[in-house]
Amino acid sequence: MTSSGTVATPVDVGEETPYVGAKAGRGRKHDPGAKSPVWVRIVLAIICLLWIIPTFGLAVTSFRNQDAATNSGWWTSLSPSHITQFTLQNYGDIFQKASMGEAFVNSLAISVPATIIPILIAAFAAYAFTFMSFPGRDILLILIVALLVVPTQVALVPLLKIYGQLGISGTFLAIWLAHIGFGMSLAVYLIRNYMATLPKEVIESAKIDGASHFQTFWRLIVPMSTPALASFAIFQFLWVWNDLLNALIFIGPGPNQPLTVALVSLLGQQGQGWQLLTAGGLFTMILPIIVFLSLQRYFVRGLTAGSVKG
Amino acid sequence: MLIKIVNALLAVLGGVAGAVVLFYLLNKFAEILPSRWEERLKPYLFLLPAFAAIALYLIYPTIQTLVYSFANAASTQFVGFKNYSDLLTSSAFQNTLFNTLLWIIVVPAGTIVLGLMIASLADRLRPSGEKFAKTLIFLPLAIGAVGAGAIWKFIYAANPPTQHQIGLLNGIVTGFGGNPVNWLQLSSGRLNSFLLMVMLLWAQAGFAMVLLSAAIKGVPTDTLEAARLDGASEGAIFFRIVIPQIRTTLVTVFITVLIGVLKTFDIVYVMTNGNFNTNVVAVDFYNQLFTNSNAGYAAAIVVMLMIVIIPVMVYQVRQFRAEEVAR
Amino acid sequence: MRIRPTVKAAAVLGAAAALTAGCLSSGGGGGSSNTGNTITMMYGFTGNQSDDFQAVVKPWAQKNNITINFAPTADFNNLINTKVAANQLPDIAIFPQPGIMRTISATGKLADLSSVLTMSDLQSNMLPGALKAGQNDSGTQYAVLVSANVKNGVYFPKKAATAAGLTQGPQTMDQLQQLTNTIAGTGRTPWCFGIEAAAATGWPATDWVEDLMVINNGSDVYNQWVQHKIPFNDPRVLSVLNQLDQLVLANGHVNGGRNAVASNNFGTAGNPMFDNPPGCFMYRQGNFLTQAGFFPKAVLSDLDNTVGVFPMPGKTAESKPVLGGGDLAGLFSANNDSAKKVLQYLTSSEFQTAMAKKASWYLAPRKDVPLDSYPSKTSQNFAQIQNQATEWVFDGSDQMPGAVGSGSFWKEMTAWISGQEDAKTALDKIEASWPK
Repeated sequence: MTSSGTVATPVDVGEETPYVGAKAGRGRKHDPGAKSPVWVRIVLAIICLLWIIPTFGLAVTSFRNQDAATNSGWWTSLSPSHITQFTLQNYGDIFQKASMGEAFVNSLAISVPATIIPILIAAFAAYAFTFMSFPGRDILLILIVALLVVPTQVALVPLLKIYGQLGISGTFLAIWLAHIGFGMSLAVYLIRNYMATLPKEVIESAKIDGASHFQTFWRLIVPMSTPALASFAIFQFLWVWNDLLNALIFIGPGPNQPLTVALVSLLGQQGQGWQLLTAGGLFTMILPIIVFLSLQRYFVRGLTAGSVKG
Repeated sequence: MLIKIVNALLAVLGGVAGAVVLFYLLNKFAEILPSRWEERLKPYLFLLPAFAAIALYLIYPTIQTLVYSFANAASTQFVGFKNYSDLLTSSAFQNTLFNTLLWIIVVPAGTIVLGLMIASLADRLRPSGEKFAKTLIFLPLAIGAVGAGAIWKFIYAANPPTQHQIGLLNGIVTGFGGNPVNWLQLSSGRLNSFLLMVMLLWAQAGFAMVLLSAAIKGVPTDTLEAARLDGASEGAIFFRIVIPQIRTTLVTVFITVLIGVLKTFDIVYVMTNGNFNTNVVAVDFYNQLFTNSNAGYAAAIVVMLMIVIIPVMVYQVRQFRAEEVAR
Repeated sequence: MRIRPTVKAAAVLGAAAALTAGCLSSGGGGGSSNTGNTITMMYGFTGNQSDDFQAVVKPWAQKNNITINFAPTADFNNLINTKVAANQLPDIAIFPQPGIMRTISATGKLADLSSVLTMSDLQSNMLPGALKAGQNDSGTQYAVLVSANVKNGVYFPKKAATAAGLTQGPQTMDQLQQLTNTIAGTGRTPWCFGIEAAAATGWPATDWVEDLMVINNGSDVYNQWVQHKIPFNDPRVLSVLNQLDQLVLANGHVNGGRNAVASNNFGTAGNPMFDNPPGCFMYRQGNFLTQAGFFPKAVLSDLDNTVGVFPMPGKTAESKPVLGGGDLAGLFSANNDSAKKVLQYLTSSEFQTAMAKKASWYLAPRKDVPLDSYPSKTSQNFAQIQNQATEWVFDGSDQMPGAVGSGSFWKEMTAWISGQEDAKTALDKIEASWPK
């Protein structure tokens, strides 16, 4: 196929470079190698510090024993004389008492399908919106855009009733479907925005070569849209992984509970002391942070396409 | 345990494969038809699964909720506008609405200002420094509200003055000889609501920063150079040239954050559960529905939330249309 | 085309996924149709209490070839409602509050226990009035108390109190007020108080109010108030709030001042008692406070010598009302033999004696659990307070409808104590929130 060269390029454009007009913009004000003004660096250093201190406090607390954590501030433990109050006990406890290990597996089992399945469905819809013309297209698209802002809380009660009749409440299936449904309008919107920036000529030439829509979709559009697919995937993964409300309602505590539910049950009417919550909280964050750090460049590229037009 | 992993894997494979098969069959089905019909029908077949999901999970529930909002607590009898009038005349709910409005106004705007500031500052750093700073500020986005709740407890916590403080803010206050402050109880001037909003700003500023930073870099150099040659100050360039140029991104960020704000449930639920005048509609909804078992009030609350959102929806659609024309 | 083989593979996988979906839904367990020996038990106590509970139940279940999925949640009341709405019921639920149990019993989903348990045994061996807590208005037994609390204990630091001349608890409310004034008069703080409990913030305040209600007005008026036969904002309730104001919330009477109460976690609020000099001398809270996680470790390791307990006194020296509470087990799966067996076990003296031995926070609602099963003097002391009660009433907020008992009562007491509302407004709002 003649266009195969074009197919690969959007995927490997470098770090954090925006899709449109990037090369022109970079280094326009300052030579990239040049030193930035001191005040800029100081202000940013302060902001970074403010941003990281809360999380740092949590991390420190998670290693302190219970008496220390409830009786003195975490910052007091930073002097060397307090070394004895550090312990790994909290981490041991969250796995034994709060079955965080099992909850971790549950969270994975919930998040991965709920992230991946909607992508394909949305990609097909986005393809139809972008490259096919049909009556009602604009209306349907606008409906999707409008539904972006509808709070998902509206769905909770009706869905509980439907799920109750089907008898699937509390299962993974229930929450997969919920996240697929709730994420769908954002997915279609994001992916369509990205597809709209793809060169139309590619599609035209594929058509001339006799490729059907189905083939064009698989062999051209999906590879070219990787950034958008990936950025939605990250978005959805973070959202599902960190979701509490839907998890509480559709799964709830018990053998299928994800990390968020396990975490809030550490806090309770019979209050347990915060040291477990800190360890659990930190443990909950690890995976999303890794996912996020390793995929962040796609995240930016996929989201900015279509909106960064200047 | 193992069976769950296997199940999840199968679900991924099966779900994806199932979707592939579905689309393949839909496509095949279209191809069987005479070609005139094939072309006509195909777009709708491609849209069908996505719209089925949206219809079941958003459209149907929205209609259902609308109906429930006119019914009694157990949804067994219609009561007209009683739920609405009850809620709107109760001072507690008025407070809740007011708080929600504050969140809607403050957080998206605050996020944009913060994000813009950090983006334009980081833009002046060397690439390695820029990357590091951005990553650090972006990180809280990966932390869910429950984790954030745990984190911020150690900022806002207040112990009685006779004891050591475990919240950082009060550690500082008492370190300077002051009396510890019960931050989350400071409802005068809604200070406690603002403190909760800080948490969301902390979580979302990175998101705004990254998008806006990309947009700022996309402003064409020649425009800027021309303005500089005309003797425009950096401030004037920023407000008269950069801002209008990145308007679409600003709107995108604004709306995305706004959607996040409307869903604000976790932060308030975890930190105060709506006590001390910090209630917002999503938490009120949850409590009405599950603590008070009042489906009527709960539905009416959501409907009012949707009414609040309609202007945003209209704006969003208009904006979208304008963009489409420009494209 | 590469698509064809993909489709075949997809079809196979799709079928496999459809098949496993079956396994997935049964993974949820529970529901009244479950007849297997794997059952789900949902309950509202978490952390150490849940650990102790499982440590006792698991070995027994293993021996009896029953697998139990334990589903503890701190947010039991909200979640059991979602489960009922979704018809995804646990086989057994242990309700922390009878109010919510009664509401759910009205849906007909809970089993009548009179054919499952030996009622005559329970009648003769349980605390007086305890069985009633598990009945609905027409007297059908839907749940049975499986653990009890005494909520009107007042903890004090033994050494510091002895040094200050406080060796024995006050015998009447007047004496308690005097004692409070005396301590405050010397410039020290008599009381500790904390009502923060995450999503359940406020409940410790409701216990105080209920306790003073039964102390001042007796169990008849108390029960009428709880059942809303007299309005929630009855003048007698207002005078109770005023009494609480004078006794605990007054200037100089509570550690940290009134404003600190609402953000002070109830579990650790009493710990300043063990500071030197003590941050306070008295902390009124339930017997479960002696479990791991609340008092400092050093105190717990020498509990009997560091902590003393006296019951909240009655109006007169002769009256000894006890404000109790507890967890009630109910059965959703009426046709599940394993679940029935578990329920019989939970109400047996075998289980309750094992729990008493295992857990310092546990009090048995059965009187035939020997006193020496309790591991410490402190818990024996609580068992005695419970068994010597002249009147035993169940925690009121736990019996009220959810909208009040775990809604407005908690929230309005929090608002009142933190100074956002006056007492009368708070009570009026609770009365207005009572479901019609």
